[in-house]
Amino acid sequence: MMGESIKGAITVVGEFVSADIVLPARYSFLPPAEMAEHVLGELPAEVNRGVRSRPIIVAGEAFGYGTGRESPARALRAAGIKAIVGGPFARMFFRNVVNNGVLAIDCADIVGSGIANGDEIEINPATGGIRWNDRVFHGMPTPAIIQKIVASGSLIEYGRAALADMARASS
Amino acid sequence: MRLAQTTAEKILARASGRDFVVPNEIVEVSPDFCYSHDYAVFAIDAFEQMGATSVVRPERNVICLDHGFPVNNARDANNHVRIREFVKKQEFLAFFEGGTGIAHQVMMERGFVVPGALVLASDSHTPSGGALGALAIGTGESELGFVWATGRTWLKVPPTIRVVMAGALTRGVAAKDVVLTIVKQLGVLGAGYKIIEYQGDAVSSFSVSERFTFCNMSAEVGAKSGIFPSDDVTEAFVNGRAQFPYMGVRSDPDANYAGEITLDLAQIEPMVALPGREDRGVAVSEAAGKKINQVFIGSCTNARVDDLAIAAGILRNRRVHPDVRLLVVPASRAVGIESARNGDLATLLEAGATLMPSGCAVCAGAHQGVLGDGEVCLSTSNRNMPGRMGNKNAEIMLCSPATAAASAVAGCLTDARTLD
Ligand code: SF4
Repeated sequence: MMGESIKGAITVVGEFVSADIVLPARYSFLPPAEMAEHVLGELPAEVNRGVRSRPIIVAGEAFGYGTGRESPARALRAAGIKAIVGGPFARMFFRNVVNNGVLAIDCADIVGSGIANGDEIEINPATGGIRWNDRVFHGMPTPAIIQKIVASGSLIEYGRAALADMARASS
Repeated sequence: MRLAQTTAEKILARASGRDFVVPNEIVEVSPDFCYSHDYAVFAIDAFEQMGATSVVRPERNVICLDHGFPVNNARDANNHVRIREFVKKQEFLAFFEGGTGIAHQVMMERGFVVPGALVLASDSHTPSGGALGALAIGTGESELGFVWATGRTWLKVPPTIRVVMAGALTRGVAAKDVVLTIVKQLGVLGAGYKIIEYQGDAVSSFSVSERFTFCNMSAEVGAKSGIFPSDDVTEAFVNGRAQFPYMGVRSDPDANYAGEITLDLAQIEPMVALPGREDRGVAVSEAAGKKINQVFIGSCTNARVDDLAIAAGILRNRRVHPDVRLLVVPASRAVGIESARNGDLATLLEAGATLMPSGCAVCAGAHQGVLGDGEVCLSTSNRNMPGRMGNKNAEIMLCSPATAAASAVAGCLTDARTLD
């Protein structure tokens, strides 16, 4: 449902991690499960283990900058990631992530707040509020269109529904 | 009341069927033209998984293979087969086989990108089209599939910042040096979610090729796009070439900007972005002597006829240093033909360059020109983060064609103005 909160444990990833580091170009054409094995694989091994076992990433400034390839976003989805908070994010990466059903919330305050691997947070997509123990960070509210795409599961699911609506309207 | 608008706002207003738009609102747009390359295979996946069967407005869609050609494995070859079949079945306006050139370059030189158009393409260097006064924005591959299926998508109206350029470049300094200076000043996400509009008295002195370099590297400061106002230079280029009707657009004099940078071009020095990040620019003179193993004169940023002419001018009657490999990749076949006719390619080959087929080549980091551990590539391309050229243990530095050519001769990073 739209606006449902996302809860879970986090993995912290540093600043200026480019999309080419999230997933190098040479892995772009792998099946999802194999992509997940390589996600953030250029960083120390515990980062890959972290993102494959915990659903949320707290990412530093400019996470996903550079290439506009969508495979890094597909790899994060394949690894089981449900949300990425922090940033600010590069715009094409942001769009690719949400189009793959992964919520992304710009919230620079949570970066460097002392939050650590394994900590639990709860995200309210509509308001951008992120709760960590008794602290609340105010991230960017998620526009309705993005909430709908993420709630559909991906832009593909959203597109399927939109096409069905268009067909109904014209028949 | 008339609302003053920037170029980007005017284009987005028209493409969304509105009189005006304001920054940060979300609008639904119908793009005027879309294109893609090898990664179109993922857009085809998305399109088919959405249950779509026919592309909306195929007569406004083109594909140009560029990222991995000639192909070096069966999987990629099969993807290319699938793309060829798709464009035939869907009756796309045009398809360009690998070797024609880098898609961004080909779309410009064949007149598919026209002033005032809203252009979407599934690549982060789509902003290059701003050289011709189009608003050209990168999308993901699923998103392009969505546009094929529905004819539209949503965009957030970006605020515009302007870079106002005055004065003239000194001898041996190029557009690339200016844009590396801008990237250094703004940082890799310094224009995140924004449009950069290039303005000022100096703008009219830049050719379409140079404007392309500026708009292309607008992606390196996170911009949604970069754009030049449509003027006589634009018109001279587009006239007789445009595939679609067009109308140039310019910002109103009283439009609102979210920021401004002013540059005196006379102060710009030859620049190099040191390894790791595009915003690590320093004057070449400060880093001169740094060792290099490979020089790449290629990519959508700087491999046009004027770029190859500059490189050939430096390499004429000189030899590439024995410890350096010089790889030259014309941005398109059309560029290659012209540079062959005017003798520049022969000059580069005589100097010891290796000529490769037009396409992304080394820049795409997937199938050609990969570096060994600890090696350094000096490149006229646009990105130098770790791993970009296929090996995270290699380093990349970015520079102009003049710096690349001079350094290839000297065997280390060299300011071309100091060659005797
Ligand atoms: S040359 Fe490089 S930057 Fe340009 S489109 Fe190809 S891979 Fe991208």
